[in-house]
Amino acid sequence: MTSNAIVKFDNVVKKFGDFVAVERADFEIAQGEFLAIMGSSGCGKTTTLRMLAGLEDPTSGNIYLDGERVNGRATWDRDTPMVWQSLALFPFLTVQENVEFSLKMRGVGKAERSQRARKWLDKMQITEFADRNIAQLSGGQRQRVALARALVTEPKILLLDEPLSALDAHLKVRMQAVLSNLQKDLGITFVYVTHSMSEAFSMADRVVIMSRGQIEQIGTPEEIYRQPHNRFVAEFLGSANIFDAVVEGKAEGGWAVKHEGGSTVIPMAELENAKPGDKITFIVSAENMQLSMPAADHDGIEATVVGDEFVGGTAMIFLETSTGQEIKVQKSHDELSTLNRKPGSKLIVNWTSENCHVLPGE
Amino acid sequence: MKRPSLFSLVLALPLLVWQLAFFLFPLLFLIAISFWTVKMFQMQPDLNFGNWQRILTRGVFWDAYLRTMILATSAAVLTSAIAFPASYAISFKLSDTAKRWMVFILIIPFFTSYLVRVYSLQVFLTDAGIINAALGYIGLGPLPLLNNTFGTLVGMMTLCLPLVILLQTFSLNFVNRDLIEAAHNLRCGRLRTVFAVVVPSAKVGLVVAALFAFILSFGDFVSPLYLGGGNPPTLSIMITDITKSGQQWPRAAVVAIMMIGTLMTVAFAAITYAYKERGK
Repeated sequence: MTSNAIVKFDNVVKKFGDFVAVERADFEIAQGEFLAIMGSSGCGKTTTLRMLAGLEDPTSGNIYLDGERVNGRATWDRDTPMVWQSLALFPFLTVQENVEFSLKMRGVGKAERSQRARKWLDKMQITEFADRNIAQLSGGQRQRVALARALVTEPKILLLDEPLSALDAHLKVRMQAVLSNLQKDLGITFVYVTHSMSEAFSMADRVVIMSRGQIEQIGTPEEIYRQPHNRFVAEFLGSANIFDAVVEGKAEGGWAVKHEGGSTVIPMAELENAKPGDKITFIVSAENMQLSMPAADHDGIEATVVGDEFVGGTAMIFLETSTGQEIKVQKSHDELSTLNRKPGSKLIVNWTSENCHVLPGE
Repeated sequence: MKRPSLFSLVLALPLLVWQLAFFLFPLLFLIAISFWTVKMFQMQPDLNFGNWQRILTRGVFWDAYLRTMILATSAAVLTSAIAFPASYAISFKLSDTAKRWMVFILIIPFFTSYLVRVYSLQVFLTDAGIINAALGYIGLGPLPLLNNTFGTLVGMMTLCLPLVILLQTFSLNFVNRDLIEAAHNLRCGRLRTVFAVVVPSAKVGLVVAALFAFILSFGDFVSPLYLGGGNPPTLSIMITDITKSGQQWPRAAVVAIMMIGTLMTVAFAAITYAYKERGK
């Protein structure tokens, strides 16, 4: 365990009967880090979080918390408060009683309890609602109560299970800012489970991407976006074009590879050890693709427009080659104005070598 | 207030007619005859407060009232306390299939008339009954199990227990499981969570279940008579005694109105308490 790690998953496996929910989770979380665990539903992200909270026990492997092995230790004997997707606020208690709950369970006296709860109500700017019933609060106010309740014991780590998924877009962004600032101010570790890429990438220091119980990639948002490890991650991010190719031989500055509808040169930095005949998969992100009208001698692959989609100031054009290779191109409306992009029309797609990235995990 | 549509009024009509014909009208009639008089074993319409004065100034009525209150309260509290662990186990520990079987099993007692069940309990509870015979084998007893408060309570609980377990189980099924995990996560141990989270979450259902036990026991005539011995009387036994002696239906009506008033007060208080919310 590295010196500043607060959590270590050591080959952790979790099975429910025959179903493998988490397969060989093996990673560390640093003290003070904001880690997001991301994946679609059923990928094992919530189970991973629940094992850390002590709500599930691993089938095999070890979990270390603050240097201590915590397998089999009940959740009430750990200091790993969690914020639930449903928030799980106690409807039969007032706002302040909710916040005081864990202090009361620890036998903290009434006066101190009240004072410590007030401090967190203040910090979350919900002091005026202290005596209210939970049912009378708005979604954003409830979020703040849930955070205050979890943080009132000043833990070293906070676990969050999709806490923002029920909020509308505007409030979601505002709460993201609240969470980010809170994490920076407190300097404690946040482990944040979400299926939303925008939440994970905007808040987290590092992101864990999971699918079918396996960890597909761990890295900073930048790393994952620029260098997805495998096809799953590239597809999950959604904006990359994925090409299967075969290495043909050395070329100037890299390797010449042949793919559906053409050939391209992969820079040496991306593909050091290769020999002719090797199968590789490379990606080119949608914003690095070029589009042009068909000409007599074109350089690139011909594809038919399938449709397009507005993404704010840009548009995503979806095309397909005659062999069925799907291609996405993201361009500003200005760049697209000279092109005929009616569905069915043909365009030439092109890219440069330096924008090719080989998926190392394929 | 939203104005009800014609359609909803038509739908509500059978209920309205039923309530008017079989509840409100008889109740008004009951109140009316409590002011009637009896001459030569014949009831005569009147506006006489003598029946009320006679019943409410009698120590024997208030003794019976207090006894019935204590019996019904004890039955409600004991039944709820005995039912809760069972309901908790059914709701939280059993698989969905096992839960369905338990609900079915809890309905079976209602197949047999309560009167028949109480009669057959006599076989168990008499001095020469099954329980005392078994105790005799190990050199104990016979214990007085019949014709006393114990017998009455056994009968009342036989009546209420399956219903209370069913009502409690249904309300526990609706307790948000996240709340229980959240409590555990916030350092609340297993047993403490039951009292700090499960009971308050299921409060409405638990109170309504206890209320049903109270109502059924308060008006019960069978157990106090056949298992409790009928003497000293409860209010329901008192009603039959009064009607038998000299056709005093008007005085019996006074006792009945007092019972209905008590049940309404208790039910109103219990439901107000059940739905009371914390905070402003």
